[in-house]
Amino acid sequence: MERRLQQIFFALSFLALALIIAAGWQADTPKWKDYQKNYHALEAQGEPNAVAKATVIATRPEVHQVMLTGLQRVDRCTTCHLGVEDPTMKDAPEPFTYHAGLGPHVPSKFGCTICHGGQGLATDKDNAHGNVQFWQTPLLPKEYIRASCGRCHKEGDVPGVPELTEGKRLFNTQGCRGCHKLNGVGGSIGPDLTEEGAQHRSPEWLAQHFLTPNAVSAGSAMPNFHFTKEQAKALTYYMLSLTSEDMGSYYSSERSIPGPEYGRQLFAEKNCISCHAIGGEGSKTGPDLLGVVKRHSPEWLDEQLVNPELVYPGSAMPAYDLDPNSRKALLAYMAVATPEDAHLLLANQSRTLKPEEIAIEAGKQDFARFGCVGCHGTELQGGVPNPNAQGGEVPSLLHLSDDYTKDEVVAVIKEGRMPPLDNPKGPTPPLYMPSWKNLLSREDINRIVDYLWSKQQQKKADNW
Amino acid sequence: MNIFQEIWKSIVRRDPLSTDKGKSELVFMNVWLHIHPAKVKKENMKFTHSFYLGFITFFLFIILVTTGIALMAYYRPYPPHAYQDMKDLQFVVFMGPFLRNMHRWAAHGMVICVFLHMCRVFYTGSYKKPRQFNWVIGVFLLLLTLGMSFTGYLMPWDQLAYWAITVGTNIGSYAPIVGGQLRELLLGGHTVGEAALLRFYVLHVALLPAVLILFTIVHFWRVRKDGGLSRPLWKLKKKTPPQLVTIGAPAEVAALQTVPASTTKTYGLMEVVTGKPIFETIAPEEADEEVFSYPYAFVREAVTLMATVTTIMTISLFFNAPLEELANPAKTPNPAKAPWYFLGLQELVSHSALLGGVVIPGLMVVALLLIPYIDRNPSRHLRDRKWALWIFTIFVVANLILIVIGTFFRGPGWALVPPWVHVTGGVE
Repeated sequence: MERRLQQIFFALSFLALALIIAAGWQADTPKWKDYQKNYHALEAQGEPNAVAKATVIATRPEVHQVMLTGLQRVDRCTTCHLGVEDPTMKDAPEPFTYHAGLGPHVPSKFGCTICHGGQGLATDKDNAHGNVQFWQTPLLPKEYIRASCGRCHKEGDVPGVPELTEGKRLFNTQGCRGCHKLNGVGGSIGPDLTEEGAQHRSPEWLAQHFLTPNAVSAGSAMPNFHFTKEQAKALTYYMLSLTSEDMGSYYSSERSIPGPEYGRQLFAEKNCISCHAIGGEGSKTGPDLLGVVKRHSPEWLDEQLVNPELVYPGSAMPAYDLDPNSRKALLAYMAVATPEDAHLLLANQSRTLKPEEIAIEAGKQDFARFGCVGCHGTELQGGVPNPNAQGGEVPSLLHLSDDYTKDEVVAVIKEGRMPPLDNPKGPTPPLYMPSWKNLLSREDINRIVDYLWSKQQQKKADNW
Repeated sequence: MNIFQEIWKSIVRRDPLSTDKGKSELVFMNVWLHIHPAKVKKENMKFTHSFYLGFITFFLFIILVTTGIALMAYYRPYPPHAYQDMKDLQFVVFMGPFLRNMHRWAAHGMVICVFLHMCRVFYTGSYKKPRQFNWVIGVFLLLLTLGMSFTGYLMPWDQLAYWAITVGTNIGSYAPIVGGQLRELLLGGHTVGEAALLRFYVLHVALLPAVLILFTIVHFWRVRKDGGLSRPLWKLKKKTPPQLVTIGAPAEVAALQTVPASTTKTYGLMEVVTGKPIFETIAPEEADEEVFSYPYAFVREAVTLMATVTTIMTISLFFNAPLEELANPAKTPNPAKAPWYFLGLQELVSHSALLGGVVIPGLMVVALLLIPYIDRNPSRHLRDRKWALWIFTIFVVANLILIVIGTFFRGPGWALVPPWVHVTGGVE
């Protein structure tokens, strides 16, 4: 027995040693080392002489990582994806292929996961691509990657991603905010969408959800808006871009992409047309701006926008407090501006509204902006199905004045209310009027009610 | 004498191990081994008596200290770095996953072994006079082990950690009057946050281990002073239970027995200070069962150590410690569960917060502490202890059933869901 125990002790000691060696071996032979070996072999093919070849092949394997302090990320993707910044690897097989068309988004400054998703810290394929349990953001499918542009480029239009602009437009015009909160503004019937892009939802799920809400989310109160496939995709893009993640000053400073559309908006906003003309359309106080970008260098023009007097002593042009991107946007618009467009701008400017019309117009804007149109319709027609509510749908607002006073309507908007039931024993209707008193000011509500009253249709005379 | 011999002699002063004197000097002239007696009774070292559960628990603790110190080199107790450090351990630290796995599995193993050790001590009646107080120390060691495991649970700062600690500390807050304040003191706030992680870290790596080590020292010391390892039941004499003779034991227990000074021996084998050699717990008729600790006890301990280490290593090689998503206070998993050893408590809490969260566990701990003083039956024989055995068995089985229900049979909303039914949409 004693001898046997000693033997067992030594056997177990050897087993422990073997286990340590096994664990060390397991740790020392990750897949990425093989990838690096293959990559160096591939690189060596391009080397002119044997010494250089040998040096390349002998490169020590090491984890490559991009520390993105501004994004609070560490991306180790380049440990395997070694050729992303090497144009000679254009035709190399994955994972070594060169990433063309990155423009200013170099991996050394942006990493990879900011656009692609996935788990930057990981060093093996399954974990890095995020197709594992407990990782919320797996790689985005190719056709949805561009949705990530909107995570940094939150304002203005993103060139090359019309889906984002369209999605945002749909969100703001179809009344999504009536039920969904975004950045603190909106109703509470549906989930808050501020972090929607950070949720673990597949783009396919989102797209399907916009087409037929009930198909992927049983019992969802969300009405079917009968979006087209393109619209659903645009909304999906927009949803995927929604995150309140802090993108860091470096990245957020670049977020508004200077485009001519934004430039035109600024041009109108700042009322440039009141001094300048474009091809003769406009005022003659300042110089005509048609072809101005051809007459001056971009630097000169930029300086002119910053401090007109410095460039043109005695210039009557005021200094506008424009950030660099806004200045670029204005110049972009200058490059494409036409006399016809200037004519249009002038026409808009000259159309004057009466004060009461302004208030009603503002009410209409609020009605759309806060998402009332989502249920009540852009023309107040109502009609969104709401099972077991009286009438089975959201009521039309075209005949409010028959049954309510303005004050009563103000009260309903403020406090919200449950719709009267069709069948008192039936289920609670999914949609209801939320309370808006915390989101809308008194003025907002009054304006909305004024707008509603301006739209009331008189009962037909033969009704009695 | 050459220089090497001189160095060796300066380190090792005992006689050669081939002699009895050398064997006993190995023990009592060595600071690390002197916790052992020079001689042990063969039957006390029998595996089927104690299953070496105390040894295994201690060795698991050694593994935990070793791996824990290594892990500290890679860990920042501050969110969200803590979680990133876990990911670094998983993906870039050489043998990082193995290290973390060993720590994790050894920790679970220690909780289990402490509990089993307690059960063994109860069933063999080894808590009885004069070992009552050592049982009390043991209960404290059980609580400290749970505390170590619980504070360590938060370290990865993932969803599992975050919500287990949230639920676990909520259970504590059901205590009347002080509960809320205790929770606040522990968390450094009203919710689990940065302050909580730092406090748990300090508890986990400094305060609790220090206290645990101190209590362990007392526990071991007491084992020696209360008469060495307990006698197996089959060695107990039927009519007249042997009176254990203990140095420092009250006089009414038994007279201090001494062995007549030998005329041939010129040295004592034990902790002789002055005067005649004194042997502890030796009735003269049992002396023939005795063997020197070296190598009889040491080889058994060494085998136990290596078996423990290799078991933990093997498990760690094949099973990874869990790591979920980054802790997200806004996203409560449904159901949010406490660490498994507290799931019995959580199960009780789900029925009644005050009763299940405070009264019952409080009474359980008090009852455990008082067992040796309540159970005044001097007999260690199973047939004489029917009541005690029944009550303790019910306590153990009830605990296990509650833990199993809480672990495997509770789904979203703490509804009863068998483990073989798959529930979707648990989170949200």
